[in-house]
Amino acid sequence: MLLLKLAFLNIGRNPRRSAITVLAVGVGLAALIFLWGFSDGTNNQMRENVIRLLTGHVQIHAADFQKTLSAELIIPDRIPVLEKIKALPHVSSMTERAKCEALIGTSEKSRGILLTGIDPTSEILVTDLKNYIKEGEFLLPGDERKAIIGDRLAEKIQVGLGDKVVIMTQAMDGTLSGYAYQLKGIFHTGSQTLDEVSAYITLNSAQDLLGLGEETHEIVVRLNRRDAIPTFLSAIKEIVSQDQHEVLTWNEIMPEVEQWVDWSEAIIRTILMAVMIVIGVSIMNTVLMSVLERTRELGVMMAIGTTPGQVIRLILLETFVLELFGIALGLLGGYLVTFYFGQVGIAFPELERAFSRSYMSTVTYTHVEPFHVVQSILILLIMTSFIGLYPAWKAGRMEPIKAIYRP
Amino acid sequence: MPIVQVNNVTKVFKERSNSIPVYALASVSIEIEEGAFTAVCGPSGSGKTTLLNLIGCLDRPTEGTITLGGEAISSLPQRKLSALRLNKIGFIFQEYNLIPTLTAIENVEYVLWLQKVSAHERRKRAIEICQRFKIDKLVNRRPFQMSRGQQQRVAVARAIVHKPSIVLGDELTANLDHKTGTELMEFLRELNEKENITFLYATHDPAMMKLAHRIISLQDGKLINEKAAIQTDL
Ligand SMILES: Nc1ncnc2c1ncn2[C@@H]1O[C@H](COP(=O)(O)OP(=O)(O)OP(=O)(O)O)[C@@H](O)[C@H]1O
Ligand SMILES: [Mg+2]
Repeated sequence: MLLLKLAFLNIGRNPRRSAITVLAVGVGLAALIFLWGFSDGTNNQMRENVIRLLTGHVQIHAADFQKTLSAELIIPDRIPVLEKIKALPHVSSMTERAKCEALIGTSEKSRGILLTGIDPTSEILVTDLKNYIKEGEFLLPGDERKAIIGDRLAEKIQVGLGDKVVIMTQAMDGTLSGYAYQLKGIFHTGSQTLDEVSAYITLNSAQDLLGLGEETHEIVVRLNRRDAIPTFLSAIKEIVSQDQHEVLTWNEIMPEVEQWVDWSEAIIRTILMAVMIVIGVSIMNTVLMSVLERTRELGVMMAIGTTPGQVIRLILLETFVLELFGIALGLLGGYLVTFYFGQVGIAFPELERAFSRSYMSTVTYTHVEPFHVVQSILILLIMTSFIGLYPAWKAGRMEPIKAIYRP
Repeated sequence: MPIVQVNNVTKVFKERSNSIPVYALASVSIEIEEGAFTAVCGPSGSGKTTLLNLIGCLDRPTEGTITLGGEAISSLPQRKLSALRLNKIGFIFQEYNLIPTLTAIENVEYVLWLQKVSAHERRKRAIEICQRFKIDKLVNRRPFQMSRGQQQRVAVARAIVHKPSIVLGDELTANLDHKTGTELMEFLRELNEKENITFLYATHDPAMMKLAHRIISLQDGKLINEKAAIQTDL
């Protein structure tokens, strides 16, 4: 206890120097928390964007459908599977789709696209596509021979609202099938995949086009929370058959999202290490200077029986107390800034095109994962403890006579 | 049996392997009896500080042996020396004896804390000694709020609060004016007489030597004139 008291008193001896050190630790940590807040915020929004716009949380297909997109790979035991999924915990909504590769065009231009047949009533409960209609309207149940496409695709094939486009594909039986569709809506999501290479028609129209009858290719499930996915996955294993169905999470469907997250977090970790080194050196400098200034005093303390171990502990305690103050300041500052920008957001409107490939939002609401904060603090503590060993060791190794009679 | 026995002790300082060795002490033998009040004198560089440091377990002799209360200290490991300094020795240096961040009474208590004496007992003993030393008005002051003489008094209190076998003082009055220095030495002499505390102190000052029972004179690291010193006392 006396050592702790001494540590506090020693820190108070040079308040300005101690304050600067605490500030260095605090600002460094606050900056890291904000950086994580920015990154976690962006990444979480990106995950949610992908889930809400495209994939839902989990999809169920016939085995191999995701890879091949073969029209004949309809969902086995569709009705019982649907019924059972509905009863699973955490399921907030679900919808069915038919999906195929297709050709869209006019007499002049054509493009390869991913054609999706959606059930408008349930689709809007699972994905947000409806909110991105920029011209015209979203599909309604019973809309036969009507399509919606992305604005970039419309531009590429030079069509506008109300125009007729032809969509052709290979039907389930292998024959070529095609119809003319009227453009009912044009959407703009900011995602290149959606805006440039996707077209939507109603599920009924798609079943008609592909000759599917009542069958579908995809069940899209939306859960009430993203972190309920593991629970849901273990539950659905009981329902579907391992070799006839494939169950894919959003992140297996769009692996590039987590790859991007890993990559961006690697960059932050590099910055984190650099900041940590700066913080560490700043603490070491302070403590080392205070040790050198106190050579005589520490010498007298050792002469009257203080052990080197006690001196080392004293110096380590001083480092630790400085650090704790810094961490407290950093946590407070970091969370305040992160909270503030979590409310007002940080907008990057001019970066829309750059972000469109990655499903990022142009407004980031900072939000920090506690895990990242704990991790940063642990790294800080471990690293500065190591760095703090040096002045402590130097102090403990002092010989009292040399320290007392030093010129 | 003497409290301190210094047998044929030589201390050689050699800065570097190629520099000329300095014989700070050369074959010195001294015995200090319990309850003695002994001065070590001699010109600057004669080895006074070196002798005190060796007896105080702050340094080891190059040759010869030193025993403290019958225990040979020359061969003990560093850790044991630290414990010996804590339990058997009281130090009073020339200046800056006190831990500057602690108050007078905390400085006195510090040694007891090192000895793991309970907080209650610590306070009790420290207060008691401060009253005896008439420094109870100073207890809550920090060193920079005290005069040098006051600081040295607190240092004396700290040096004897744990009842060491011997108290070593190296030029402990050198930074005090004559009056304060004499008062401090007379106070030590009084403690010596009343409480039988053994003191060994190094000094340049003839006035301080006069108070000693016995004077050990050093010159160039050698013991001289011990008999004459005793005569001075008579
Ligand atoms: N650490 C050291 N390294 C080298 N030489 C030393 C060291 N300490 C003392 N000496 C030398 O040993 C000799 C004795 O020194 P010491 O300090 O014991 O003298 P002293 O009698 O205390 O002198 P003063 O009255 O000036 O304090 C001197 O010649 C000194 O230069
Ligand atoms: Mg000296």
